[in-house]
Amino acid sequence: MEYDTIIGLEIHVQTKTKSKMFCTCPTGYFQKEPNSHVCPVCMALPGALPVPNKRAIELCMLMGLATNCTIANEIYFDRKHYFYPDLPKGYQISQYKNPICSNGSVTLPNGFEVKIERIHQEEDVAKSTHHSSTSETDYSLIDYNKSGVPLIEIVTKPCLRTAKDAKDFATQIRQIARYLNISDADMEKGQMRCEPNISIQEKGRWEEKDGMILPLGDYKLNPKVEVKNIGSITAVEKAIEFEVARLTKDLEEGKPLIQQTRGWNANKNVTEFQRSKETADDYRYMPEPDIPVIGVSNEDIERVKSELIELPHEKITRYMNDWDISQYAAEVISASRKDASYFENLQALLSEKLEHKIAAQEAANWLMGTVFALEGDKEIDMNDLSLLIMKFKEGKITKGKAEEMLKDCISNNKDISDELDMFEKSASDNAGNIQDIVKQVLDNNPKAVADYKGGKEATMGFLVGQVMQKTKGASNPNDVKNILIELLK
Amino acid sequence: MKIDVKHTAELSRITLTPEELEKFTPQMETILESVSVLKDVNTDGVQPMKAHVKFNELREDVPQESLTQEEVLRNAKHKESGFVKVYGKVFGAIEES
Repeated sequence: MEYDTIIGLEIHVQTKTKSKMFCTCPTGYFQKEPNSHVCPVCMALPGALPVPNKRAIELCMLMGLATNCTIANEIYFDRKHYFYPDLPKGYQISQYKNPICSNGSVTLPNGFEVKIERIHQEEDVAKSTHHSSTSETDYSLIDYNKSGVPLIEIVTKPCLRTAKDAKDFATQIRQIARYLNISDADMEKGQMRCEPNISIQEKGRWEEKDGMILPLGDYKLNPKVEVKNIGSITAVEKAIEFEVARLTKDLEEGKPLIQQTRGWNANKNVTEFQRSKETADDYRYMPEPDIPVIGVSNEDIERVKSELIELPHEKITRYMNDWDISQYAAEVISASRKDASYFENLQALLSEKLEHKIAAQEAANWLMGTVFALEGDKEIDMNDLSLLIMKFKEGKITKGKAEEMLKDCISNNKDISDELDMFEKSASDNAGNIQDIVKQVLDNNPKAVADYKGGKEATMGFLVGQVMQKTKGASNPNDVKNILIELLK
Repeated sequence: MKIDVKHTAELSRITLTPEELEKFTPQMETILESVSVLKDVNTDGVQPMKAHVKFNELREDVPQESLTQEEVLRNAKHKESGFVKVYGKVFGAIEES
């Protein structure tokens, strides 16, 4: 039997605000004392009232704008009820029928368009750790610092068909979040969480309509599985692949499938049963009476839109089309906003002296070869680098010598233009006696000279190298080569 | 008016004995009955009353000092190394966010 894989993704992202979603407690809770970023609102003490954070809602809108969503002109909050110690109010403030962003899409590098159903605003819950003990009953320890941190949930339609596309989508969401400074989106720190919904259905026996999977004829749909506890982007792909294989095997063996939630075990690379979902969740949603309806004007949306900068996939296309940069280089450079902006500024600087495509290619080569290799804690000054690149293009210095100089200047805090001046001065000092040095090299290497004269032209490289060594790199290899050719005639 | 008290209790993680269930069910039904008179009011053509606020009037993102850990834990029945301590197995049929 042939099956189709049907995947929908739910991605939670903690957005980067200074204060919490509904109170003024600071958000930076990572590695802080437990219960030190807590107030009556995030503790749910009686009478505490939630006051929405404007910046948080702007960041939710920004994610929506970056993923081609429609932004609502009225914002409603709802209460989602469930009873669990990590949720002191007994409900989470979330959004039910009217999310801030809806009907968006993201295009993957392979051209596949992922449909986004909604992006809504909610609040994170407390962190709980569960403990078993032989001397007392099981218990949990709760830290409310995370309770109330702004959280957005991105929900795709069940339109994904492969584990790879799901992984690429999660990667793209993470990249957008980082580019637009919406979130650091570090999955290991729990700033981004991915939960795929997976089912497999017989080929040709189902259809997708308005984001719903519907059976055709008398076909009965197979139940879906939700996977939680995924701690990295690669685990998104692995967990889905594991589930598809597991579901296919169970079906082939005639085992009944049940709707269930499973957890990813990253040590064993398997998903493990957590609980079955025989009944639909009953969250008893109701409008949040403590928060008024928030009116959003088109001007408000336009203001948020001004924060939208060119996104990585747009940069890749532009670099390739306008500047003939290879796809690989374009992807590497655009992966972080910092690198992309360094590259673009360097290109602009070099364009003052070089043709714009050549400027871009030199910038890309030097960034990927030299800057990435040398850059530690300290950023390489762009003016210094462009000075070196120009000297290299003029044939005044070799790439190896330029890199060496750059490294020396970084680690010993030297001024690159001083170094270049000294280098050029010693180069011109050497120019006078370069003839002598070349003669000396020829005298010392009679075999190489004989080889060259016998037709082995590759020997020239060796001879040039010998001269360069003696002048400590302070001469122009092309000049040296010309002198050698002249003397060897 | 019917109410599934057992289901409601489970959602709230309250264990009820069969006797309690029998006792509470009619009581809760009476409460729902009293409230249900609201359903008889004719609201045709009446706009829902919703408080509105403009986006610009929302709270700016400025953090302020929280309570101290000591203050936070003052009302906690059980605590351990700065955490609130909760007994019992909390995993169950109900979804965690």
